[in-house]
Amino acid sequence: MNYAVETKNLCRVFKRKRSRKERKQEPTKENQKEVVALDDVNIQVKEGELFGLLGPNGAGKTTLIKILSTLLLPTKGEAWVAGHNVAEDTFNIRMKINSVSGGESSGYGLLTARENVWMFSQFYDVPSKVAKQRADDLFKTFGLYEKRNQKMRTLSTGERQKMGMVRGFITDPDIIFLDEPTLGLDVNASRVIRRFVADWVREHEKKTVLLTTHYMMEAEELCDRVAIIDKGKVLVCDTPENLKKTVRRSSTLRLEIDPLKDYSKFRDIPGIRNFSKKVNPETNRSELVFVIDDEAAVSDILSVVTGEGKRIHELRKTEPTLEDVFVSLVGRALE
Amino acid sequence: MAMIKRHWKTLKTAAWLGWQMESNWTQPFLFAVYSILKPIAATMILVLMYWVVINPGYGGQAENAIMFSFLYVGNAFYIFVGQMLFGIFRVIQGDREWYQTIRNVYIAPISYYVYVVARALTQLVIASIAVVITLLFGVFVLGVQISLAVTDIPLFLTILVIGLVGVSAMGVILGGISFLTAKHMHGMNESVAGIFYLFCGVLFPISMFPVWGQFISRAIPLTYWFEALRRVLAPETLQIPTSLTQIDTGLLMLILLSSTIVLVLVSYFVFKGADYLARRKGVIDMITSY
Amino acid sequence: MNIHLRLNLRAILGRAYPRVIGSLREPSWIFFEILLPVLAIAAYVFIYQALEAPPEFVGFVILGGAMTAFWLNVLWSMAAQLYWEKEIGNLQLYMMAPMSRMSLLGGMAVGGIFGSSIHASATVLIGVLLFKGPALVFPLMLIPIFLVTLIALYGMGMMFASLYLMWGREAWHMASLMEEPIYFVSGFYFPVKALGFWVALSASVIPITLGLDSMRQLLFPSVAAWGLFPVEIELGILVVLAIIFPIMARIALARMENLARRRGGLTLRWQ
Ligand SMILES: Nc1ncnc2c1ncn2[C@@H]1O[C@H](COP(=O)(O)OP(=O)(O)OP(=O)(O)O)[C@@H](O)[C@H]1O
Ligand SMILES: [Mg+2]
Repeated sequence: MNYAVETKNLCRVFKRKRSRKERKQEPTKENQKEVVALDDVNIQVKEGELFGLLGPNGAGKTTLIKILSTLLLPTKGEAWVAGHNVAEDTFNIRMKINSVSGGESSGYGLLTARENVWMFSQFYDVPSKVAKQRADDLFKTFGLYEKRNQKMRTLSTGERQKMGMVRGFITDPDIIFLDEPTLGLDVNASRVIRRFVADWVREHEKKTVLLTTHYMMEAEELCDRVAIIDKGKVLVCDTPENLKKTVRRSSTLRLEIDPLKDYSKFRDIPGIRNFSKKVNPETNRSELVFVIDDEAAVSDILSVVTGEGKRIHELRKTEPTLEDVFVSLVGRALE
Repeated sequence: MAMIKRHWKTLKTAAWLGWQMESNWTQPFLFAVYSILKPIAATMILVLMYWVVINPGYGGQAENAIMFSFLYVGNAFYIFVGQMLFGIFRVIQGDREWYQTIRNVYIAPISYYVYVVARALTQLVIASIAVVITLLFGVFVLGVQISLAVTDIPLFLTILVIGLVGVSAMGVILGGISFLTAKHMHGMNESVAGIFYLFCGVLFPISMFPVWGQFISRAIPLTYWFEALRRVLAPETLQIPTSLTQIDTGLLMLILLSSTIVLVLVSYFVFKGADYLARRKGVIDMITSY
Repeated sequence: MNIHLRLNLRAILGRAYPRVIGSLREPSWIFFEILLPVLAIAAYVFIYQALEAPPEFVGFVILGGAMTAFWLNVLWSMAAQLYWEKEIGNLQLYMMAPMSRMSLLGGMAVGGIFGSSIHASATVLIGVLLFKGPALVFPLMLIPIFLVTLIALYGMGMMFASLYLMWGREAWHMASLMEEPIYFVSGFYFPVKALGFWVALSASVIPITLGLDSMRQLLFPSVAAWGLFPVEIELGILVVLAIIFPIMARIALARMENLARRRGGLTLRWQ
């Protein structure tokens, strides 16, 4: 089997320069000098696959993409892209990949959108004519055709982001890394991008996409397989279907209540696999998600809430989603 | 009263911010060296030019100590002009291009005008050091003739302050205009500084210009500033006819003062106007590198 | 055609393009880039005239003023460029692309030379029209001197580019620091030999020093004796510099890239 991407015990540690003030203090957990961004990551992405990396902020998704796109070296372990080692054979990797990240607005403000993507294509040995033709096709796809001859500095943030997508696909890469490609885009634009990416992988047998996101539904809808990553560790990696199966026998209980004084009591209730809580600042209510294996736990949960004399605003039992997989693994909600 | 108080507070905060940013950019030592080295190198170019001309091995011309004093004093005080114009301009451009904080500063409820001026005070401190070093070097190493009579000290300080106010006002005008232009980090500010360098009688008497050139010179308040400074610091340069020589010192001061007041008013309105235009054209936070 | 050759040629043209277009599309910028040296020229010419210097000195000033176009371009648009690119967010895209990093810098140089040549020519033209210099001669030797000087100069810029990449904001100060002090030690406005042999020799590390000195000797034969070395020797030294600097740039760039990949400094936008 040829893997498009493979990592073996991949670790990445960042050394942080501590500020002058921090240096005077004792090192604590927050201001320690080293940040472990990736911790022993092993993933295998097959050729032709649309692979998702799902994780909360700071999980290490971008770091992994940077390593795979040859911008960063691993601290330990190894990684191969298209069969080439990222630390050694950068040229062959770079010829085959491209990468787009959601927040990006790269390029030169003085050039038009079309000129900008043309320029970037020239670094990949794309003949000028071919590049221009592809650019126009892609601009059409992403609904930017009318604005392609506008100077980049007059484009909106979302339009620049779409231009970034054009830039990424204009080189017709074998493997493309998409780092939260729909970040901050409106519903419509997000849908266009998602559909394009899905079609692109489906229509070309050998093209591979590695996509990061923290939108559950994006991962569920698009990806052939998903790796859930948190604090630099890959927790699970499987198809969305299989992942959901792991929580299928259990059920999910969503609860909206007035904030409690003490949530630790839930830990003692048998039958709760894991739970997450967050406070909605607008309503000032606690939103709790329980993944429960045993229906009997429900009454225990409710009695904890009523025991403190708090109101229950909403109570729902739902089908498991990827989000629930995440909660059951990590004990935290994603967003 | 409340308004003055608020401006005062802005002034203090911004001056502090200016210092923080300047000294944070790099090690303070390196920063100081560079702020002082640049003007001194510019001075050395002039010294060498003079030396080459009078050296028998090269130009072989007769020594001209008075002319040398003339250009040396002018050049030393020009450091204020260069550094202040540059400083204010950079505050605006720097915020715009680097930090993209202009959005935040801009919408904050403080007067951006006051903010810009205060941030430039840092530049004034640094420029003063460079000026003093240059003058001391001139007097003790190169033998430039500078003599400040004790009775002239109040006059000298008055001239100095008026001039610096004028220079700051010009910096603000420039900064205002730069709202509307592309990235000229090393274009516009230096060009304007160059115009002053050329036309304000800094290095050579304005009488060397054709009539239209002298007209430009006389329209810039700084011309009178340099003339006045030279009269108190190096009186013997009065032997060089500058075409301003006939104007007596009292009248000279009056011209300097009134033109500076006009300049300050103009700077305020230009700044407001540019500010407004920039907002209307939507270019306030543009980035224009290529 | 060899894929590497083709890729890198495309990359050079690709990166040169925004430079060329940019300098044409922002006319206000051209205005300032030409005005600036003209003002400096005028001021220095008047000083020489006030001191009653021979006409050759006017020629020195015009030549020096014209060459500042290239020097400023190397400083701000070569040496400090990778730092800007990082700030804008382009650097990581460049570093991810397969072309040689040297062709990236090469493209910036080609585009930069294009723009600067326009500026320098305009400066010379204005300078000659405004001020009466000595009679002009144009020996052929001027061409190789000029070309080799540019190669060496931009090669040096490339080397600085990779160093500045790691220095972050200090890059700005360093570039700024290399304006007046270099005009001074490289003798932009007077024969560099006047600084004394050893100072002048040390300053010759900067290619523009000997480039200017040779051009002065060739353009103003009456004062050729004020040159530091004979033109042929200066050309020899310049050729050596034109070979060494690009090689050093290549090494420095590879090192810096590696260091940045190890430390994670290629993508960090706000240091
Ligand atoms: N250059 C760096 N220097 C120091 N620490 C870094 C650097 N880059 C990333 N980190 C740290 O590494 C961890 C992982 O960061 P990473 O950007 O990979 O997260 P992410 O999963 O992409 O998060 P997000 O969803 O917010 O984009 C974070 O704790 C981050 O602070
Ligand atoms: Mg990320």
